[in-house]
Amino acid sequence: MVDVQFLGLLNATLQAATLLFIASLGELITEKSGILNLGVEGMISIGAVTGFMTAVNTNNIYLAIVVGIFSSSIFASLHAIVTVILKQDQTVSGLILTILGLAVSSLLGKNYVGRKLETKIDSLFNIENPSNVLEVFLSQNIIFYLAIIFTITISYILKNTMFGTRFQAVGEDAKAADSMGLNISKTQFIATCIGGAFAGLSGVFLTLSYVPYWTDNMTAGRGWIALALVIFGGWKPYRTALGALLFGFLEALVPRLQTYGFELNPYIVKITPYIITILVLVMLTIYKGGKTGAPKNIGIPFFRENR
Amino acid sequence: MNKYILTKRQVVNELSTFYSFLLGFLIALMIGSIILLIQDKNPFDTFSLMFKLSIGSVNSLSSSLNKATPLILAGLGIAIINTVKLWNIGAEGQIFMGAIAVNLIYINFQLTNSTSFIFVLLVSAFIGGAFCILIPAITKVLFGVNEIITTLLTNYIVIGLTIYLVNGPWKDPGSLNFPAAAYVGKEVYLPTIFGKLSYGFLICILFTVFAHYLKNSSVFGYEMRIAGGSEMTAIYAGINAKQKAFFAMLIGGGFAGLAGGVELLSQTHRVSTGISQGFGYTAIIVAAITGMRPIGIFLVGSLFGALSIGGSVIQTIGVSTYIADIIQASTLFGALVIQFFFNYKLKRADDG
Repeated sequence: MVDVQFLGLLNATLQAATLLFIASLGELITEKSGILNLGVEGMISIGAVTGFMTAVNTNNIYLAIVVGIFSSSIFASLHAIVTVILKQDQTVSGLILTILGLAVSSLLGKNYVGRKLETKIDSLFNIENPSNVLEVFLSQNIIFYLAIIFTITISYILKNTMFGTRFQAVGEDAKAADSMGLNISKTQFIATCIGGAFAGLSGVFLTLSYVPYWTDNMTAGRGWIALALVIFGGWKPYRTALGALLFGFLEALVPRLQTYGFELNPYIVKITPYIITILVLVMLTIYKGGKTGAPKNIGIPFFRENR
Repeated sequence: MNKYILTKRQVVNELSTFYSFLLGFLIALMIGSIILLIQDKNPFDTFSLMFKLSIGSVNSLSSSLNKATPLILAGLGIAIINTVKLWNIGAEGQIFMGAIAVNLIYINFQLTNSTSFIFVLLVSAFIGGAFCILIPAITKVLFGVNEIITTLLTNYIVIGLTIYLVNGPWKDPGSLNFPAAAYVGKEVYLPTIFGKLSYGFLICILFTVFAHYLKNSSVFGYEMRIAGGSEMTAIYAGINAKQKAFFAMLIGGGFAGLAGGVELLSQTHRVSTGISQGFGYTAIIVAAITGMRPIGIFLVGSLFGALSIGGSVIQTIGVSTYIADIIQASTLFGALVIQFFFNYKLKRADDG
């Protein structure tokens, strides 16, 4: 018989990690194309509220997921229009996206605060009370398994396919990629929208499974953690997943510390992931001679001068 | 193939940032009106009420300017750091650190002369903000670690530290529902100039002038601009670019720290998570949208202060506070879009 508390911790870790990981995977794709989007927090929020509203009104959970993904993606296209087409500063645009996203979602969700959901995203294999480690893994909902599939396929595409190589070329050296005949603007635009779609999926996971209800500012900084995770993972899907598990574990651990009899201060435990991320970033920069894995063109608008 | 191609304009109108902002603000008002119409509210009534309640009387104008003060101070700090072409996303954390430094000094030292005590506390706020950006600054100049990320992460560390302090060592037993440190004594409150307008705003004006001078007229500002330009030019001119970057970051962080100190001594009077409501993030956009110009930051910051106050009072007529946030964000987006048309033009491809 495995310790019930341990299973609870494992389950909570997986869920918290999934939530963070999906958003950071989207950001990873966006950043690989050379676009930095600091608006993750806002995008998650939009996906969370639109998904929740759809679920309350239609009781159709799959429609809610789709709506959440699409609305976040459309919202992200604002960032794409401003930075890719209009070549404006990515840092600024991303920050505005966060502020706008939080405000718009609060406005939209005004009448949904405290509303109850009739349905939520169910465990895919209908396991209610897992009694061993395997069952904990099998008791997750569909988004968890999607996250695993995404990790494997995206990592494969980036590493082993021509498409992936070309895609990364856009973020590494847009001028060279352009002379090879790749469509820079189109690639970056689509990558930004895909990033938004992932953030939206993360948002619906938050309101339709993880919490599940809607209140203002419920993303609670997770968008920023997702951004940190991309760096932590050196822009690689597997390492980002590992980082998400670490952050998820700490998020799950904090409320359980006392039951384990530890005297660690929960507030201090909560900030350790950020300190670790800074340390990792510094070490990566020192030991790899500046090669942190960051796409070289990130943050620089592509402009084809004097053709 | 594309019939039109994009070219950069050779000459950009000097006032383009100003016009962009103005047009952006008009766009934002239109967006705000549409949202209000959807909610069956009269936009004209709502906006005139917001106008009246934010700058219509001495008291409301004072509230607006008090609200603008931390935003402007933090924005100025960001503009100074941007002179060396670096970003500071950590203003939010530096604001909290400034407030923490004030409280730390306040509970450990006592000065009988309250004016000099306030002065000491404000200086410690500045040092607190500078301290907060120390790690990002050191790692940037020594190893070239991306400062956007490190300053962003320090926000969470400092806010975490604040939550720890107000729930642990500094917890005021008298504050039951809302974790906060004990209030500072009345003797260190920043006095008011008139009405509700705090001396903090005067500090804000002084620092705007100082930042303007530092950036545009001082030797240090000139050296910072060279250091932020090209590495080779800096070496040729004998300027230690890393040293300039380091000090620019510390000064900029100090400005944001001061914002936190002023906010504590004039508004909240105690350390809590309510010290900043995202001022640090809004400040970045305010600074960027004005092209990092101190005077512009002062004006736009004041307008945003008024918008926040106007936004928070219109709740009484059943309009969501978030309207103000949406107007702010749309103004900025609008300004970015308009700015594009000042900087680029479309040209027919066959024109050569």
